[in-house]
Amino acid sequence: MIKFENVSVKYPGAAEPAIKDLNLSFERGEFVCVLGRSGAGKSTFIRCINGLQPVSEGTVKWNEKSLSDMTHKENLEIRRKTGMIFQQFNLIPRMSVVQNILTGLFGYKKSYQNLLGLFSSSERMTAIEAIQQVELTVEPTRRVENLSGGQKQRVAIARALIQNPKVFLGDEPVASLDPGTAERIFSLLKETHSKRNLVSIINVHDVGLAKKFATRIIALREGKLIFDGLPEQFNEEMYAAIYNQ
Amino acid sequence: MVWFKKGQFFVFLTLIVLVGFSLRMTEFDLSKFQDFENMGDFLAKWFPMNTESLPYLFQESLLTIAIAFLGSLFGLLFALPLSFFAARNTSGHRFIFTITRFFLSFLRSVPEFVFGLILLTTLGLGPFPAVIAIVLHNIGVLGKLISELIEAADKGPMEAMSAVGAQRWIGNLFAILPQIWPNVLSQFFYRFEVAIRTSLILGLIGGGGIGQQLFIHFKTFQYQLVSVDVLLIMLMVIIIDYMGGKIREKVI
Repeated sequence: MIKFENVSVKYPGAAEPAIKDLNLSFERGEFVCVLGRSGAGKSTFIRCINGLQPVSEGTVKWNEKSLSDMTHKENLEIRRKTGMIFQQFNLIPRMSVVQNILTGLFGYKKSYQNLLGLFSSSERMTAIEAIQQVELTVEPTRRVENLSGGQKQRVAIARALIQNPKVFLGDEPVASLDPGTAERIFSLLKETHSKRNLVSIINVHDVGLAKKFATRIIALREGKLIFDGLPEQFNEEMYAAIYNQ
Repeated sequence: MVWFKKGQFFVFLTLIVLVGFSLRMTEFDLSKFQDFENMGDFLAKWFPMNTESLPYLFQESLLTIAIAFLGSLFGLLFALPLSFFAARNTSGHRFIFTITRFFLSFLRSVPEFVFGLILLTTLGLGPFPAVIAIVLHNIGVLGKLISELIEAADKGPMEAMSAVGAQRWIGNLFAILPQIWPNVLSQFFYRFEVAIRTSLILGLIGGGGIGQQLFIHFKTFQYQLVSVDVLLIMLMVIIIDYMGGKIREKVI
């Protein structure tokens, strides 16, 4: 479904590429965890998937069509099919829980409808259902800045769910949460992934979480792929190869 | 910032030279305050206040508020969309950014008084040219201030809006406006307060309102009315400042 062919990304002014010559493919049903030290290129890799980060060399293909060959409209189509969650949640402050979730539909609606907040009652119902799915027990009208980190991430997941995504991307979604909350969020992600038969690709620092939830682990070091395999194949030696200086 | 460093000596020296130069240029001389009594005598003429014209002056004060309110509100309405073109992160193209910034700088560099004088030739005397003069200058000021708020906004929500496939302008609007809104309101109320004072100046060139009355009362030596004008002006500024604070408190 998603293919990386010789993908490299070099930021302007950087001496070395952030990711180098990546060749990977992902199919429906895979729950992939991406491991690597800070600066290994994990975020760049994740952002290349939905075109938030343009590639310098190579191609990222969706169903055999390169992102760079797609029209602007097709690119937006790819993005609305991709639910993405972030380390800092990236919610819109001073807006309520339900309003934030409804912004997940922005890709599907006309600009004037988004501007005027013209959402149908069924769309509002879907937003409320998404709140229930992520087991969020706060008032939908509550402002997001008044929520805890775990609650904010649940809102972000609900925003991604309402997109009815085919692909779920997570850029270190649990890095700023305590271990208990992190595990609950991962359980939720895995459950949603299984129910909807998605491709999920999640950056994570916690090897334990990756081994517990992933169906496949890939690891990057200095932008290069150094591991791609099953969680049970990921051993101490591999751990040292990723994280040791 | 706090600790004195050797390198700051030059800055300090430059500052002293500039202060000395400015003191000479402005004939700054505190010994001139020895004629302080004159001021006391002059102010004594302001009292007792002549409250007979209070209803009329109150009406003129409302006109001043209306001039300032429209001048600030219309200024904000035009400045808000322009500020997105004048911010590096939302302009979309360097050319658009440069042109918009230049346009805002131009509007800002022309004082309301000058705009007022120019507009008088077409619009004649009265409050209307005063409103337009304040609108034009406020577009320049608010446009720049808001564009700087936009540039300093958190990029996270913008990235999230890109990721959901929102149109760029809708994404920018929703990701940025809620973040900067309390500060936009602050700027608006500050500009509203400034516009009250500006409309007083515009009264000198026939802009109407309490400013024009103040000018007339001064020129005709009616100091007991001048004191009423000044009191009304002070009240207007204090009330607007208080209202602005309350509204901002509610919005935050």
